[in-house]
Amino acid sequence: MNLNELVGYFKDDLFLPEIKADTKESVLEELVEPLLKNDIIKNKRVILETLKKRETLGSTGIGHGVAIPHCRTLAVSNVQLVVGHSEQGIVYKSMDGEPVHLFFLIVAPPQEKSNLYLPILGKLVEMLRDKDLRKRLQTIHDFNEFVTVFQGG
Amino acid sequence: MPKSQLELLVLYQDIQLMLYDAEEQKKMGFQVEGVEDLKIALSEMEETIQTRYIRTYERLKTRYTRPIAPVSKDVCLGCFATQPTSYKARAWSDKQIFTCENCGRILYWIH
Repeated sequence: MNLNELVGYFKDDLFLPEIKADTKESVLEELVEPLLKNDIIKNKRVILETLKKRETLGSTGIGHGVAIPHCRTLAVSNVQLVVGHSEQGIVYKSMDGEPVHLFFLIVAPPQEKSNLYLPILGKLVEMLRDKDLRKRLQTIHDFNEFVTVFQGG
Repeated sequence: MPKSQLELLVLYQDIQLMLYDAEEQKKMGFQVEGVEDLKIALSEMEETIQTRYIRTYERLKTRYTRPIAPVSKDVCLGCFATQPTSYKARAWSDKQIFTCENCGRILYWIH
């Protein structure tokens, strides 16, 4: 998975410039909302429950203000990536206990032919280890700005 | 919380897959310390799903990695056999769970 392939999964319709939620549970719900709005999922129940169960395994808040909630679920037919930004940060029980400013929700179907779920997840983790990139992403206000910064522009 | 038996079965399969992926995610640096808790959640779910559905699921699991197949445009994406159009409307009523007439997988309509 290269950077351009990853960026191809970011969509304006699945981008939340300012998250309104203030709890871990409500932020997951807000992140799933664009999938429902864009007719990607039929209802939120299964996907939300799967995401909550994933948090039982361990927090997807990887620290440094970033969380990557993710799951495989039959609720979607293709890999989907929702990006959310929170200026004030949300308490998410992250590994380092710090509030989260950047959310990357990844959902993929179990029968995904191209098996991109883990490569996307891995590439995101790799990219977001970059302190400078994280810092710059925390100041973005719209989708175009987000993509430009993510591509190193 | 999912209400229908079908939704519960889908969640049951999703969690099994999550446990399967856990090791890969650990290598990436994610926390996966709650494997045992998730296994407990899985057994609790078994009590909320009707025995006959669990039996069907487990029987199918001996043949397929994923016993539940999504349906798109009336086609089972497990074996690509076309399903009767009448299934879709009835499938969400929670009164019956449909299986593919060709491969036998439990069917889940994604749209």
